[in-house]
Formats: sequence, structure tokens, C-alpha cells
Amino acid sequence: MSDGGRESEREPEKPAAQRKPSGVEFAPAIARIAVAQICESQGFQTFQQSALERLSDVAVRYIRDVGKTAHYHANLAGRTECNFFDIIQGLEDLGLAQGFLGAADIEHCLATSGTVREIAQYVGKADQIPFAYSLPQFPVVKDRKLTPSFLQIGEEPPGEHIPTWLPAYPDPSTYAQPSTRNETTTEPPTAKMEQENQHRKEERSSLNLHQQLARNGLEGPSSFIAGDAAKAKKAAESNPFLAAPLQFGEKEVSPVVLPAKAKLSNEATMGISIMENHGMDNHMSVLEAFVPDIEAMKSRLCDSNEGPKKVLLNSRQTVQFKIGIGKKSLGTMLDLSPENKSFEVTAPWFGRENEKDDKKRRAEKIMKESMGNAMELDHL
Amino acid sequence: MNHNQQSSDGIHEDDAALSDFLASLMDYTPTIPDELVEHYLAKSGFQCPDVRLIRLVAVATQKFVAEVATDALQQCKARQTTVVKDKRDKQQKDKRLMLTMEDLSRALHEYGVNVKHQEYFADSPSTGMDPASRDE
Repeated sequence: MSDGGRESEREPEKPAAQRKPSGVEFAPAIARIAVAQICESQGFQTFQQSALERLSDVAVRYIRDVGKTAHYHANLAGRTECNFFDIIQGLEDLGLAQGFLGAADIEHCLATSGTVREIAQYVGKADQIPFAYSLPQFPVVKDRKLTPSFLQIGEEPPGEHIPTWLPAYPDPSTYAQPSTRNETTTEPPTAKMEQENQHRKEERSSLNLHQQLARNGLEGPSSFIAGDAAKAKKAAESNPFLAAPLQFGEKEVSPVVLPAKAKLSNEATMGISIMENHGMDNHMSVLEAFVPDIEAMKSRLCDSNEGPKKVLLNSRQTVQFKIGIGKKSLGTMLDLSPENKSFEVTAPWFGRENEKDDKKRRAEKIMKESMGNAMELDHL
Repeated sequence: MNHNQQSSDGIHEDDAALSDFLASLMDYTPTIPDELVEHYLAKSGFQCPDVRLIRLVAVATQKFVAEVATDALQQCKARQTTVVKDKRDKQQKDKRLMLTMEDLSRALHEYGVNVKHQEYFADSPSTGMDPASRDE
């Protein structure tokens, strides 16, 4: 770009600045006009459109950087709202490239900083050129609603170590799940991670169901839990109608996460070896178990691995014979990747069931729990 | 500059100067509208109910843009003078002061902003004419 340094000639005559509000957004267009006005006041008569846009972009970036650095300095001082000195600090930070008067003096008062004096001088000598147009008020949220603190709500913090000025906890229903599990066994860190994700998705109503399922899982053999994960995966895939957005996320996440969890658990504790053995043939157990699990949830029949398998075969065929993919599903149980497809095919069937939603939620929870529960079961 | 050694008088002077400065900001109408500055500041996480601080940022930005524009203008004028030496006849055509990417990128370079643009980026007919005139 520096090749333009000694151009022999300047551009031929051009019409005056083109101020096309071509921007998709309103604010950049406003910024462009303002910057054009400033440049005009400095003596420019015309613009290259690209240069004007570039300069306005830089100006906008400057505003945002000032805001960012001021916000940073405010946070550094333990405040959330910026004040004058934060802005001056930010301006000094941004002005360090060029330098300013008194920059070397560390202990100077910010009120008499060189940047302040320069701005004051500029204000004194620069002409006032009001913006060309009258602007409507931008939809800027000025008053943010913060989460009320314990003090404001009037609640007592659950622990004495929690000061009352901290934001209050959300509704207990959103985080009651971990406590119920804690009663049974200690949870591995991975399980806690799962729970956090879980809370966001879960609804209050599903919690009770989930607890029941968890109890069932605890009663049943380890393979049952391994199957839960698969079941959850399947459930996510089997809901094309209601939970389309969730479905994609589940599809992508669950297959990857499950093996990783198993590996993690392997590395983490040797005592889980039993579970890990199941983990080795996770695909098998998962595939075999998850359909029966759902059935079992309905009927509370799942007492052992064998039971679910039988149920699986029977129920599967009866349900699917219309589609004619009963054999497929059985065959695919041995293989993980084909299984997914088969489930997609069978998805409409599950979608028609009234309890589909509950089942799906339960399955998701159980899947997430299963990683953690695997360890728990060993303890039991 | 030795404000830490100053007595309370100095502090009061600073306070007075500061309040005067902020008051002068309220009298000054920056070209950059307050709404725009407020919008972008809110986007960057900045929040403050004080309008004077919004003004301060607006004035600071205006000063920054004006400085960059002034530098670019100097670049532009300096180039025009060289053009006069080289080709007088063609120079007659454009006496207008035009903000070009070349001048702007040089001016911004001094402020720590690296501007790169394509050599053959033709955003306007004038830019398109540029390569043709680059004989040197």
C-alpha cells in the first residue's frame, strides 16, 4: 500500500462525498456521517468511500475500546459502573501509542492528566459542529436488572459462609437434583459436570421421574446404567417432532462424550473396573438395554439385564412390525453406527407416544447420570 | 505534576478544574451523537448513567478522528505538492482535497492502526483510476 507514496497524479475530479447509507445497520451509517462531518471540518472535500468507511470503523472501534478499557479499570477497582477516572485511564491506555503530556509521570493525578488537558484544549478551540440529523433514541439498556441478593429477597443464605449481599440462589427446583444424589453416594467430578449441564435442560416435573429412574438404575445391574446412556441417546434421536433443536445437540454430543467419560472414569478410579468392563462392550449393552429401559420405565419392570433384553425383543417387534424394521433394529443393536439410523427410522413410533417427552427427558438425565452413577453403583 | 505532594489546596484546585472541565463538556456539542456513543459503549460493557461521561467519550473520539483526519490531510497536501512538481497539467484536474486510503492508512499507522487494503481494490471510480496513474 505504500507504493502510493509518490503517485504522480491524484485522482481526477470526483463528485462530493458519497454518503450512501448502504450499511445494513443503522449505527455504522450514523458513525459514517459523523466521521464525514468531522473530516469535512478538518478541510477534506471529498472521500473515497472505502477510506471513509475505514475511518468510521476505526472511530467506532475507538469508542468501543474506550468503553472496554474503562470497564476494565472499573472492574479492577471493584466497581461495576465506570466513572470519570476509569475513562481517563482508558484514554491514557489508548493514547500510549502516541504518548501524551505527562505520560512518564506515574503519580500524577488523573484529573490533570495530559489527555484531559488535550481534550480540554480541543473542546476550547474546536468548532461545534452538531450532527446533521436528529437521531431517535437508541435502544440502549441503561438500567440493568441484577439478580436480587439474599438481602433484598429477605432469604437466609443456605450457608453461613455466604454473605447476604451476594445474589440469591435460583429456585431450589433447578438445583435440587444433586442433593438427592448426594444422599446415595458421593459423585465423581465428571458427574458434577454432567449435572450442571443437566440442570439447564431439566424441568421440575421431570426431576421426580428422574429420581425414580435413578433408583431403578441403582437397583439394577451395572449394564442397566450403561444402557441408560444409550437409551438417552436414542431418546434424543427418537424425538424429531418436539425437540428438534435439542436433538442435534444431543446427537453430536452424546456419542462423543460417552466413550470419553468411560475412559475418564477408567483413569480416575481403578475400583470401577466392573463398570469399565461393561464400558468395553458399552455399545452392546447400551443398544440392547436402552429400548427395554424405556419400556421398563413405563412398567417399572427392569430388574435385571436379562429382563430388559427380553422385553426389548418382544416390545420392539410388536411396536415396529408395521414398519417392518424389527429385524433391522435387532441387528443394529450389535453395531453402534447403524443403530442410529435405525432409530431415526423408528423415531415416528416413539414420537407418537404420549410419554415420549417424559421419556426423553428421563433418558437424557439418566444418560448423563450414568457416567457418574457407574461409580456410584460400584460403591453400592 | 507533583500532585501527590500538594496540599489540600491542590486537591481542591484539581477538583475545581475537573468540575469545570466536565461542565464545559456539557456546553460542547460533539459531532458524534451521544446516542451513538452510548450505543457502542453499552455494547462494550460500559455502563454509567452520567451523561457527561458519554460526552467525554464522544469528545475524545471526535478529537481522535479529527487528529487522524488532520494527519491524513497533511499527507494529502504533501502529495499534492509533489504532484505539482511532477505533472502540472494533470494536477489541474483535481485540486480537491480527497480522503484516500493511502493517506488514511499512513495517518492511522501513527496511531497504531495497521490498515491494509488490496492493491487493486476498486471501491470507486477514483480508486480504479489510481493504478493507471502509477507510472513511477
